[in-house]
Amino acid sequence: MRSPLSLALVGLGLTLAIVGAAAPTDLTVQVTTEPPGLDLTATPASATAAVVHYNVQECLVKVDRHGKLVPWLAERWHTADGRVYTFFLKRGVKFHNGRELKAADVKFAIERARNPETRHPHREHYASIQEITVKDDATITFILTQPNPDFLLNLARQGSVIYPREAVETLKSAPVGTGPYVLAEWVRGDRIVFRRNPDYHVAGLPRIERVTWRFIADPNAALAGLKAGDIDASLFGLGPEHVTGLRKDGRFTVIVGDTTNDVIMAMNNLRKPYTDARVRRAITHAIDKREVLEGAMFGMGKILGSNVDPLNPYYVDLAGALPYDQAKARKLLAEAGYPNGFEAVLKVSPQYPYTVRTGEIIAHQLSRVGVRVRIEQIEWGQWLARVYCRPPCTTPEYDLTIIGHAESWDLGNYANPKYYFRYDSPELQELYRKSQATVDDKARRALYVQMQRRLVEDAPVVFLYMHPRLAVARKGLQGLWQDLPALSGDLSEVSWAPTK
Amino acid sequence: MRRHLLRRGAAFVATLFFVSVLVFVVIRVLPGDPAQLIMGTEGSPEAVARLREALGLNRPLAAQYVDWAGRALHGDLGVSIQYDLPVTRLIVSRLPVTVPLTLMAAAFMIVIAVPLGLYAATRHRHAGDYVTMVLSQLGIAIPAFWLGLLLILLFSVRLGWLQSGGFEGWRQGLGAGLRSLLLPAIALGVFQAAVLIRATRSAVLDVLGEEYVRTARAKGVPEVSVIGKHAFRNALIPVVTVAGFQLGHLLAGSIVLETVFALPGLGRLALGAIAARDLPLVQGVTVFVAGTIVLVNFLVDLAYGLLDPRIRYE
Repeated sequence: MRSPLSLALVGLGLTLAIVGAAAPTDLTVQVTTEPPGLDLTATPASATAAVVHYNVQECLVKVDRHGKLVPWLAERWHTADGRVYTFFLKRGVKFHNGRELKAADVKFAIERARNPETRHPHREHYASIQEITVKDDATITFILTQPNPDFLLNLARQGSVIYPREAVETLKSAPVGTGPYVLAEWVRGDRIVFRRNPDYHVAGLPRIERVTWRFIADPNAALAGLKAGDIDASLFGLGPEHVTGLRKDGRFTVIVGDTTNDVIMAMNNLRKPYTDARVRRAITHAIDKREVLEGAMFGMGKILGSNVDPLNPYYVDLAGALPYDQAKARKLLAEAGYPNGFEAVLKVSPQYPYTVRTGEIIAHQLSRVGVRVRIEQIEWGQWLARVYCRPPCTTPEYDLTIIGHAESWDLGNYANPKYYFRYDSPELQELYRKSQATVDDKARRALYVQMQRRLVEDAPVVFLYMHPRLAVARKGLQGLWQDLPALSGDLSEVSWAPTK
Repeated sequence: MRRHLLRRGAAFVATLFFVSVLVFVVIRVLPGDPAQLIMGTEGSPEAVARLREALGLNRPLAAQYVDWAGRALHGDLGVSIQYDLPVTRLIVSRLPVTVPLTLMAAAFMIVIAVPLGLYAATRHRHAGDYVTMVLSQLGIAIPAFWLGLLLILLFSVRLGWLQSGGFEGWRQGLGAGLRSLLLPAIALGVFQAAVLIRATRSAVLDVLGEEYVRTARAKGVPEVSVIGKHAFRNALIPVVTVAGFQLGHLLAGSIVLETVFALPGLGRLALGAIAARDLPLVQGVTVFVAGTIVLVNFLVDLAYGLLDPRIRYE
């Protein structure tokens, strides 16, 4: 090694490294949870969507970074009456196995999603489809039973990904799609590795050669990994308490954006005294949401007044609708027959630390109007079984609970009297039913506004705040989504800035 | 000796049986339906019901157990729900991390603890003894995960010598593999070393008060020989007992450190499996770990006989 030649080689190497200084081509990102399987057509897990959706597998339609529905594998579509949609597929799109995408693949994937024999978690998204016909390799028509304003949105969801028929057996461990990245390796418990798809149908993308997803559950370990340079970006799972320090650190960019994750305090509308809308409104008035946001989220996020998130085009700012007003809260409680307040149990799961912190602040605030809250921490499995109350559970076992609802367009939950809020309002149900049959955007928006006002009036739950999107990236990494209108860790447009 | 072996063998099988039944029952009694957890707050009730059926969760518990145990006897621990891979294969794939990690921690523990314990005993009630005791108290008090984070902050973030976590695998070479395990092994070994220092010290102190030690000293046997040959050899039995128990604790402790250091080991496999209510995987890993611990205790038993010829099992 001490020979002049090798020294010269080392010198040359160093020089090249300095002169070349090409932008790095690899990327290591951290996520908290390992996907429980990679098949988007079998699991609704957000950890799966984060990794696979838009990166490995794509849909006819895409929810873009601004929350807009854009044509994707379909170049465009046409509908005259909102009941018959014809999609014209982008030509020359190749699956990762080299075969070209054809209309028959779309038909196969969507029909399989509708098939009761499969384990698709959201068959209801395709319930309005009556028939799918293939005109030619690039043209496909969907006939609906009746116009459905959510039809295109449903085709953009994670469960509507298009994959080749011959790869259906391997979806769970080796999904094949049309995305910018090809799954290269899944070392269970440790990482998932992508390599660049050289045949990607969007010219010039992706710009990263190799992406490594690492699963690090402990946020402190993730932060240490960032600081030590072992990971380039943390996409999900960090809380405001973790990123505050990094905001001051010049080596990193902290992204704070919007999400569709609405954090609410649900009240069991079946249980006294929460059967009384006056009590529910009183509780809302007794909560200082500004203080909650400051205390629990370090001021990051946005205050909500209804269950429509700021990324939704029908969002109306109702943050001030039932303002913090202790006197009013006491008056309403007295009217409802509780001049001295009452006792309540608030169940939260430490799986989501922000819910516990939020609960502590709210318990304190409610005590000022006489509502004595005892906080009970329960494990996530128990929460799902008892509070969320899926069969065999028949009656939700809780007074109050706090959780974030991450799904977009989930107002339907309030129109479902079986949902764990047990909120049963014929007026809202009627409005929702109408909104699901109205294709005209203006009319539909009006219905959404009406629904939101109804929710403020009835206060079935306390709408607290929108959980912020928090991501941290090393300086120089560009193209990450600012907001999260979809539960995807989309890395298609990510690249490293050229270094000087 | 043969009867003893048979007895221990029977105890081994019985322990495994009880552990497996216990795990089987406890996991199912816990609230939190696996199908529900897999589907989260999204999937529809029908989808959950379909999944329950696909997983065989609607069958009677006893039938599920007999089925599982029968196949386990042939080495088939079932198929993991979340990974869709044979449980046996998943366990085997994690051993290259957990086994070296545990062994490194054990080696660290023994190399540090036994000499320090001996040293403290011979310096009984002197400064060296007190310093060692304070250090071991500290080692017992510091939580392993916190020590792990401190080590990461110092060696990865500040000095940049070692990775902050993750495991590239042995394909990167022996050195790279050992380097990834170094910090977690130290964090894991410190608590156990602290306990073992105390055990060694008191065992040696006990022996030093015995007649034969006084006799040896009176005969003019050199102190090195008194400590090394007479005292230490006889003190080894309690030390080996404690060390044997600690191997079990090391396996348990590795769950925490594998999480802090993001290592793909058995501990994290178990943790993830519990969180996801991946029943076949939880059962498989638990029975495997229990079996290993029972086996280690069995070996410790055998070691007694070798250490002290007076111990004969009849």
